[in-house]
Amino acid sequence: MFRIRFHGRGGQGMKTASRILGTAFFLEGYEVQDAPRYGAERRGAPIFAYIRADRKPINERGIIAGPDLVVVADDSLVPLPAAGVLQGIREPTVILLKSCESGATWRQRLNIKNPIVTLPETGEAEDSAELRYIGAACAGAAAGVLGIISRESLAQAIQEELGRLGEAVLAKNRANALASFDAIKKSAAVNVTEGGSIPAQPYKRPAWIDLPFEDARISAPVIHAGLTSVEVRTGLWRTMAPVIDYSLCRGCWWVCSTFCPDGVISVRDNQPVIDYDHCKGCLVCVAQCPSHAIAAVPEKEEQARKKAVAGEAS
Amino acid sequence: MSRRLLTGNGSAAWGARLARVDYIPAFPITPQTEIIETIAEWIDRGKMTGRMVTMESEHAMITAAGAASATGVRVFSATSSQGLLYAMEMIYSVAGWRTPLVLVNVSRGISAPITLEPDHNDVLAARDSGFLQIHCSTCQEVLDTTLMAYRLAEDERVRLPVIVNQDGFYLSFTREPVEIPDSRPAAEFVGDYNPENMGFRASSPSSQAVAVLGAGAYSYFRYETHLAAREALSVYEEVAREYRERFGRYHPIVETYRTEDAEYAFVMMDSFATKAKDGVDRLRESGVKIGLVRPRLLRPFPEEQLCRALAGMKGAAVIDQNLSMGKGGVLYTEIASALYGQNEAAPLLASFIGGLGGRDISAEEFYEIAATLQKAVKHNRAPRPRLLYTVEELRAMRKLQAIAHVERHGSKPGE
Amino acid sequence: MAGKTIRRLQELPSTHLLGTGTPMCAGCGGLEILHEIYDILGPKTVFTNAAGCMSLLSVYPYTPFRGSWLYTAMASAPAAAQGIRDALDILLEKKRIPPGDDLQVITLTGDGSAYGMGLSATSAAMDRNLDFIYLCYDNEGYGNTGQQYSSATPHAALTATSRTSHGYPGYKKDLFSIWAAHRPAYVATVIGAEPLDLAQKVEALQELQGPRLLIGLAPCPTGWGFDPSLTVKIGRLAVETGIWPLKEYRDDRTVHTRIVRHRKPVEEYLQLQDRFRHLFEPERNNREIALIQARIDQYWSKAIDADT
Repeated sequence: MFRIRFHGRGGQGMKTASRILGTAFFLEGYEVQDAPRYGAERRGAPIFAYIRADRKPINERGIIAGPDLVVVADDSLVPLPAAGVLQGIREPTVILLKSCESGATWRQRLNIKNPIVTLPETGEAEDSAELRYIGAACAGAAAGVLGIISRESLAQAIQEELGRLGEAVLAKNRANALASFDAIKKSAAVNVTEGGSIPAQPYKRPAWIDLPFEDARISAPVIHAGLTSVEVRTGLWRTMAPVIDYSLCRGCWWVCSTFCPDGVISVRDNQPVIDYDHCKGCLVCVAQCPSHAIAAVPEKEEQARKKAVAGEAS
Repeated sequence: MSRRLLTGNGSAAWGARLARVDYIPAFPITPQTEIIETIAEWIDRGKMTGRMVTMESEHAMITAAGAASATGVRVFSATSSQGLLYAMEMIYSVAGWRTPLVLVNVSRGISAPITLEPDHNDVLAARDSGFLQIHCSTCQEVLDTTLMAYRLAEDERVRLPVIVNQDGFYLSFTREPVEIPDSRPAAEFVGDYNPENMGFRASSPSSQAVAVLGAGAYSYFRYETHLAAREALSVYEEVAREYRERFGRYHPIVETYRTEDAEYAFVMMDSFATKAKDGVDRLRESGVKIGLVRPRLLRPFPEEQLCRALAGMKGAAVIDQNLSMGKGGVLYTEIASALYGQNEAAPLLASFIGGLGGRDISAEEFYEIAATLQKAVKHNRAPRPRLLYTVEELRAMRKLQAIAHVERHGSKPGE
Repeated sequence: MAGKTIRRLQELPSTHLLGTGTPMCAGCGGLEILHEIYDILGPKTVFTNAAGCMSLLSVYPYTPFRGSWLYTAMASAPAAAQGIRDALDILLEKKRIPPGDDLQVITLTGDGSAYGMGLSATSAAMDRNLDFIYLCYDNEGYGNTGQQYSSATPHAALTATSRTSHGYPGYKKDLFSIWAAHRPAYVATVIGAEPLDLAQKVEALQELQGPRLLIGLAPCPTGWGFDPSLTVKIGRLAVETGIWPLKEYRDDRTVHTRIVRHRKPVEEYLQLQDRFRHLFEPERNNREIALIQARIDQYWSKAIDADT
């Protein structure tokens, strides 16, 4: 059975990707399961979807613990523990990354030996209108890596999944998917191997515990404090970062601070300061700043710049 | 202490009054309404200090009850049948909030078809909610149990809401002699409400009943609620003993009547069980060694006490005043689950459905049930579940159907 | 009460009380309203919340509130406000808590609850003259489940349950008037994009007692289909085109707090949102656009007469 997991951010079309690939498998005569995993988190937050495909009926269900192929639409998710991109990977698990950097670089960075295939980025993350096409490109690349899905099945699957969106959207998705499919076919020499089932003998015994009785002072669903949400680093959702040019900031009536939906801009020493741990990158501040002192910068560039500044400092 | 004639509803109101409840969100429904009317009058006349608010529905009523309890006051409320069902979303919710309020349910059959008469499908719909359930068979029990329910609910080892159940009409509107404890010893028994770390205060913020992400957290909260409900068995026993010491009346987890040497038993809940006691007395006179086993606590479910009560018996007839569609009697199913897998040979179980929509159970029917049970034991073969329903009842039903012209479209009933 | 302190934009709070790290979408117009309001109401508050997007503000063990919160259910958040208000009054009366531990009780729901399932509970809370504040963040659909239409959905909007090229055939329910018909202490409409108007209304309602209700239009990037950076722009256009009148009801009288002399054509507001794109593409639907415009014009011609 093939077990494939798609990782991306809300809004990048991972559900679409899993459906396209699922349909393509189906058209190739496979039994298929595909499903998105909905969490409570929203656009920009890490999400995933998954597919199982087999020649026999599939009894396994739920989240894929041990994937054969992991597809990542946004390489900024890889280092995030919350995204769980590398969860359950085995030695032969193939990782398909949308990234400007090479597989070798990533292998070194992550200190893993897995085959890593990269699909060059084309700047979609910076253009929210392009975001919705990432899914199809990922599905195309995944089909290419798998090597068992024909170009025709892929095109047909896209037609079935996206046909209702109109010819223009369909064409754009089809072109993206097929281009990724061809590019990967040409470059990648990896094999995705089907994983087996977990054997009944020997097996790892679950470490069950008798849940101890705890009275309601402890075991009621109550948070006995305020403001604990600051421990959630929603800054990880960001693909674009607002950056203040203090030479242009006129210290108005703090438009940015008032309008920021998340309240992450405070005013200190008469200057607005952005809390990047929590800024989700909506860019309302960029759009509203009366003196145009806030620019939208791709998160990656901003990360690199900060790293460089930190390097200089040390 | 005074002894006077009191209805079940009056007894419930007295229970709330003696427990010195702070807050009573209310909504009228037959046959419960008299409880809130009584309390309203007491408050108006200054005999009771609580605050009562009539809400716009039972759903809102239980929401307000849970919210007030979560804020840290002692809460009482009452409902019945359709009202309990309308509130059901919040019945489950406030149990999950771990709010120790007490709700008196006056059992009444569930629609459709709608009826005002009692059976237990209403309260059993709340069986899995996290509310503890105590079922009463006399007006005295209603009063005593309401007081004890606060001790049980508010015990730090439990902290769960409790439903005190009484049958509509058979108790709610029926006067019986009831001993009313004096207010001071009652107050001493119940004690002041200590909300522990629960509440909303400017000085100590809390977010209650929050969502969870992930099955690990969900399982933890749900299972802890279950464990707390299990703790309630031993806590209840403590409370019941203390009540006996103070007031001389003992209401055990499972009441047994003439079971010491019994070979057979009726198993029943709520007020119809006193009819079974009469049946037991008459059958004993005719030489049948039979007794009555009556669980007062349905949640937590007292497996051990029930198994002990039925141990060594040849047969037990479970008479359910409820019906799980497509399955049968709920108590029968639960008793069977308790007995199955015990080391000792379990008694043969026979299932009877009786008292639906307040349908009476006659003395002769108890005798016939006993006879059926004895025959079944003799042949070592459980009888098919039996609805207590007579030829005359069906004949009367046919008359109604004739008036309703049910044959108009070609099919005639009974053919 | 403190009395009016915010007269100018410059006097709006620039440090914020609501915690960061919530799971609301980037650019959420509802969260913008909430954080602006919370800056003024502060932590001596307890929120009773109904099912909706903001159910997820407090997810164990995280809460953005400095004060308190109780999650209830979709239909009965105002009933929980009743329970808490009454319980606090009892505790104060019986001196079981010091006066300083008192809280303002605020019900927080989306439009799905406010306009629909929770309307009966709200109506009854007003009947009982409950001393509470109600904030409805109105994103014009069942947002938390993926933007199906609710009775707050505007005419012609595409939603997950009105996907055809005509959009939602009904018209947005006039909740302001329904609420005001109960003659509560205060009703107002607000929007995050007009923070001064919002702040002044919140300050005004703090001086009153009884039911005080706010409906905040919450531009929703996810549900309405626009780039999250446009939340404020769209909010402001909602006011400037007159489709979201800012007004308040008190003392038996409704007054518009912002009368735009030269209203912008509504299409400026509509065309920025995917949910109305079908009115412009593939070809302009002049009839529908004119219909929407006419209803706005009609509203304002009546409103200005009534105000003056």
